[in-house]
Amino acid sequence: MPGRQAHGRSLMPKAGGGRPKHRVNKQNADKKSRNTVLDAFAIAAEQVPQRKAKGVRTRDLDEPEERPQKRSRDDDDEDDEDEDEDDFEEARPQKKAKNSDDFEGFSDGAEESDGEEWHVGVGADDEDSELDSDEAFGESDEEKFDGYAFSGSSAKKGKKAKKGGDDSDEEEEEGDEDDDMESLGSDAIDLATALDQFEESDEEEEQGEEGSGSDDDADSESSESEDSDDDIEDPSKLDNLQKMISGFAGDDEEEESGSKPTNKLSLSDLGLFGVQDPHMKKSLKLMNKEEKSAKPGQSKKLDIPLAKRQQDKILRAAAYEKTSETLERWIDTVKHNRRADHLVFPLAQNAQDAGLDSQELLPVTKATAGTELEQTILAIMEESGLGPTNKPKKEDQDNVEEIAARKGLSAAEMQELTRQKRRERELFSREQARQKRIKKIKSKAYRRIHRKELLHDEQEMHDAMVEAGEIDSEEEREALDRRRALERVGTRHRESKWAKLGKKAGRAVWDDNFRAGLTEAARQKEELRRRIEGRKKGEDSDDSGSDDFSGESGDEQNDKKRLLQQLEHAAAYADGEPESALMQMKFMQRGEAQKRKENEEMIAQIRRDLDSDYDSDGPEETDIGRRQFGMGKKELTLPGQQAAAEKKQKKEKKNITDDMSNLQVTPQQAAATQVVDNSLAASVAGAWSKAPQEGRKSSKKAVKASVGELDLSNAAMLASKPKPKSKDASKSKDTSTKTAAAVVDDSSSDDEETIHLPLAIRDQELIKRAFAGEDVVGDFNREKAEVEKEDDDKEIDNTLPGWGGWVGEGISNREKKRHTGRFVTKVEGVKKEKRRDFKLKGVIIKEGRVKKNDQYLATQLPHPFESQAQYERSLRIPVGPEWTTKETFQDATKPRVILKQGIIAPMSKPII
Amino acid sequence: METTDRTELSISRAAEQPSGAVAIKNVRSEFRSKAEANKIKKVKAAEKSYGRGRKIDVKNVKDKKLKRNLTNLEEKYQTATLKAKEAEILLENAGGFLEAEHELERTYKVRQEDIVSEVNIEVAQKKFDLKLDQLGPYICDFSRNGRDLILAGKKGHVATMDWREGKLGCELQLGETIRDVKWLHNNQYFAVAQKKYTYIYDSQGVELHCLRKHVEVSHLEFLPYHFLLATLGTNGQLKYQDTSTGQIVTEIATKLGTPVSMTQNPWNAILHVGHQNGTVTLWSPNSSEPLVKLLAHRGPVRSMAVDREGRYMVTTGQDCKMAVWDIRMFKEVNNYFTRAPASSVAISDTGLTAVGWGTRTTVWKGLFSKEKPVQEKVQSPYMTWGGEGKRVERVRWCPFDDVLGVGHSEGFSSLIIPGAGEANFDALEVNPYETKKQRQEGEVKQLLNKLAPEMIALDPNFIGNLDLRSAKQREADKDLDAGPPDLEEEMRNRARGKNSALKKYLRKQKKKNIIDEKRLKAEEMYKQMQEKNGERHKEKVAELGPTLARFAKKE
Repeated sequence: MPGRQAHGRSLMPKAGGGRPKHRVNKQNADKKSRNTVLDAFAIAAEQVPQRKAKGVRTRDLDEPEERPQKRSRDDDDEDDEDEDEDDFEEARPQKKAKNSDDFEGFSDGAEESDGEEWHVGVGADDEDSELDSDEAFGESDEEKFDGYAFSGSSAKKGKKAKKGGDDSDEEEEEGDEDDDMESLGSDAIDLATALDQFEESDEEEEQGEEGSGSDDDADSESSESEDSDDDIEDPSKLDNLQKMISGFAGDDEEEESGSKPTNKLSLSDLGLFGVQDPHMKKSLKLMNKEEKSAKPGQSKKLDIPLAKRQQDKILRAAAYEKTSETLERWIDTVKHNRRADHLVFPLAQNAQDAGLDSQELLPVTKATAGTELEQTILAIMEESGLGPTNKPKKEDQDNVEEIAARKGLSAAEMQELTRQKRRERELFSREQARQKRIKKIKSKAYRRIHRKELLHDEQEMHDAMVEAGEIDSEEEREALDRRRALERVGTRHRESKWAKLGKKAGRAVWDDNFRAGLTEAARQKEELRRRIEGRKKGEDSDDSGSDDFSGESGDEQNDKKRLLQQLEHAAAYADGEPESALMQMKFMQRGEAQKRKENEEMIAQIRRDLDSDYDSDGPEETDIGRRQFGMGKKELTLPGQQAAAEKKQKKEKKNITDDMSNLQVTPQQAAATQVVDNSLAASVAGAWSKAPQEGRKSSKKAVKASVGELDLSNAAMLASKPKPKSKDASKSKDTSTKTAAAVVDDSSSDDEETIHLPLAIRDQELIKRAFAGEDVVGDFNREKAEVEKEDDDKEIDNTLPGWGGWVGEGISNREKKRHTGRFVTKVEGVKKEKRRDFKLKGVIIKEGRVKKNDQYLATQLPHPFESQAQYERSLRIPVGPEWTTKETFQDATKPRVILKQGIIAPMSKPII
Repeated sequence: METTDRTELSISRAAEQPSGAVAIKNVRSEFRSKAEANKIKKVKAAEKSYGRGRKIDVKNVKDKKLKRNLTNLEEKYQTATLKAKEAEILLENAGGFLEAEHELERTYKVRQEDIVSEVNIEVAQKKFDLKLDQLGPYICDFSRNGRDLILAGKKGHVATMDWREGKLGCELQLGETIRDVKWLHNNQYFAVAQKKYTYIYDSQGVELHCLRKHVEVSHLEFLPYHFLLATLGTNGQLKYQDTSTGQIVTEIATKLGTPVSMTQNPWNAILHVGHQNGTVTLWSPNSSEPLVKLLAHRGPVRSMAVDREGRYMVTTGQDCKMAVWDIRMFKEVNNYFTRAPASSVAISDTGLTAVGWGTRTTVWKGLFSKEKPVQEKVQSPYMTWGGEGKRVERVRWCPFDDVLGVGHSEGFSSLIIPGAGEANFDALEVNPYETKKQRQEGEVKQLLNKLAPEMIALDPNFIGNLDLRSAKQREADKDLDAGPPDLEEEMRNRARGKNSALKKYLRKQKKKNIIDEKRLKAEEMYKQMQEKNGERHKEKVAELGPTLARFAKKE
């Protein structure tokens, strides 16, 4: 019954001590232990007198000595853990067995559950459960490992027997012997019975299966060795043997050692002598068996138990290990949750539908209808015939079958038939769709695109005809057109009012005139038709053999084509399809192929046409817009400078005209009129300020200024036309562009230019003079200097006259000097070089702070940040909905903890 | 593993040298997979348009937790920028400009009539002229959502209208000079700078307030996020009044004579004031001196405009010049000539600059562009209008529409300028199609989000930044004029737990034998307290009766 080993934790300390214990035992093969064993024997015999003489429960006595011993040996934790894990592994399968075991009810239930708790949870109540588990051990082990124990002992004996007699450790062996002598016989029997029992009860069968591996091995071994059971034992051999056994049966040793100390209550202790329950009896039997099978000789070697405190300490350490291990599993989860931006409660893992795919909607069936609501809805739907059952389909099938039956066809044939029909239908619809698509392409885009081309072609043909003398002129063509229109509009044709009226009245019967008119109309129609056709023919002959345009030229043709298309489409995809009888005929197939070919051709043609259209767009585009003749073309070829010069000329003209208008409109602004040329303006600059410019003017500007001055001096020359050209040639390009900036429109003539150019210069002069009085720049620079000085570092002389010296008349200058500057305080300001406007011309920026703004500044760097940049960066992006997208805004303002409706349960397992 | 495979591949692809060596230009970029390269490209594009500064270098952070937090933060920022970039797909409207088909064609030659004949009737209706030649040159202003227009004639005529519908809101004949007019936070209120005082009217034309402190105001500006009405008087006084509370926030003397022009920087709510001597000063309500003073022109600065991102300013001066300034660097970017001193400048949402000079209005495109590292000089304007003898007084762009309003001596003209308006509006911010309810809710929201005037600074992102003053400096900056803390206040207010500050003080003082004013006061206070407690006790005793009196607690 391996299930009993479930006490992983409590077992551990004992298990660790299993091996060393034996060594110790060998060394001090003491009488004492033997005595105790014997004593135990006697007592046990007393305690269970009526049952069996062999039912000695040595462990009952050994227990107090044994347990502490194990503890002391348990110092190394690693061992503990190793074994611990082993226990874990075994614990699971065993648990099941246990549950079905009758023993549970008897004595062990609580303890076992205790043991289980050890595995799953944290062993917080380690010390509390310690005793229980220890006690529980004996019993459980016995139950579980009777097989192992038995085989172990028997195996040992077998080997010992082979080795021959060895007289060392007589006493121990004697003890063993005694034990063996007694237990062996009983064991053999007991095992058999036990096996029988297993077979008898279903529950125990289960157990047998689970623990079968080890049990069977043990059995076979024992059965082999049983016959040659001799009594002599070698301690070292014994040790080896045990090792080997442990190899076979896992934790045999531990269990053995662990089982010994259990202080078990017998039934007699409990005062229950006459046990009637058969199950009870059975288990009791087993219990007793185990007691016998265990070797009492080992229990002799126990040491004095450790002090309670030390035991507790060890236990605590082990418990701590265990606890921390279980807690470590949560660390990642806790970290994750601490760092998480948002937490949602109740947790998703506790949700009812956790692990279900919420992305997909599944149909509700009877099987899946979980909630009451779903079930009721399903019921209602079923009632109203909308449920998920497939009744209609069945009917369908029935119908088909019926038809088939009526026709006398087999089911397979019928199926084939329907399939074929379906396929045909599908094909047809596909073809239709295709046809529609082609038609659409043709009807809309195609026509639109081709209209232009048609016109173009028509024009070309017309030109050709004109050249050939077929059509004389535009007038003639127009006349022709008009005549045709008149014919159409004229009264004598079929759709006219005249015709309709006549038809209504039946005039054709009695009115000759009408009849004549009709014939005339018919004749005209015929003529018209012929003319149209004739024209078409001409076109066809013109176009190099392709029927590009014939496709949409005449309505009839079009219609025909469409019909053909339809026919053709119907079978376009017929490849590989089962054909109807008609389609299987040769001529049909041929026609079919042809049509398909045509269709393909047409599509290809449309494509080609489209392509050609795009190609033809290229050259056409170049014709768009105004053409350049004469001067324009020349301009393109000319170097940029000359073009600029010409432009400039024009612009100057414009300026002048505008000047005139300005002057006329706003005579009150005579003082401030207009600037024409940049060079002139530059020359004017001298007038703005006489203050020193601190070398502001670049050499380039200086050049310009000189040019301007030159211009001014040669004002008379400016009047002549070639002048600006020469100037442009001499000057850089940007002056010309600058002049261009002043341009608004051109509407003047060359005559005006000569009159107005000097006027512009006069205006310039006027402006110069108008602002000459104010030294604006100088004033500004002075102001700037003042401000700079004011903001600069300052020294304040705090010396009080008469303090520490005489004042008044008759004090020498030397004395006065001595007393000035004795107490000077320095006020730090902003140095000139450090001013923000140091390098900026014409700008004064106020230094120092605006106090009222200070209230919105952070007084110190907030805690987590290490630098100003980090902190200010964290404020950089606004949160409001005006500045970010809705999504970003919602993300930014999402609360850290989101509560949803439901019960907030603790986490059932780590997330990560 | 993957990387090695890829390297092998690329090596085999690359041209091998005779020695067997392979020349690789950039290991990092060359060994990138296509997907990776795409991703990097995407991130870069997103960073360019929505990025907010450089990333923190996390490598050098020692604290593990901080490191992790910062990395997470950076990740969040990056996803935010990526998402913002992805959300561009929702901006379904695209703006476009007039484009010349070839190099000889000029967009500025396109007349309004040409445009009107080409566009659909709905747009064509936006081009209209109002002939109001009686009451002097007109000035105009559009409300924030561009729905309403206010017109004010110099001689006292004020009219508001829903200009698209052509519905007149109200019409006033004030009978005195009007210098400026301005919508407040929505179309329900407007301020008018009249001959002497400034007045606030509601949409019906009812006079709500007469601001007597704003005397002889020549320019008005309204800061919508701070609810501040800023007025600039002819005496050079700059005043800020909170229109939500009615308090005057600051009065500042500019000390530079009669100002000529004023505008606001919509990015940081700084006011730009143009002066007679060609300087432009930048003001916030928080300092009595200008934050910046720059010399823009040689003559008076006739008008100014700042682009909506607060990067560039365009000024025009009496000296027939138009200057483009980078107002973050305070550097002049470009300088243009105008043929007459420009009377008014305005910058549209898309960066078109309208300049009204003489009888003409010229619209410039691409005077500045934040994408270009170096601003190029534009050679010809985008569009022009005028030349018909109507002296332009003011030009204003209609928000969210391709419309330029021009107030002139003979009334008002609305021009269609393709590509001027922001194509995609943010209804959370300003909604051109708002209903009455939305307007009301928006007003409440605006008020809740109102910014304090103290938050105005050259860099509006300063809020929350670290104060870098030294402790010494901070000590020095403390207000030295503040009186000593009041003893009684201190003792009364500092009662933590059972031991009040008073009791503690007395307990400590008992040991010393110093009797000063403070102690006397404290003792007196203590006495009063005791008396009060005694009275309370007596009351309690009376209440409980003779038998239960022993349970009355004595404090």
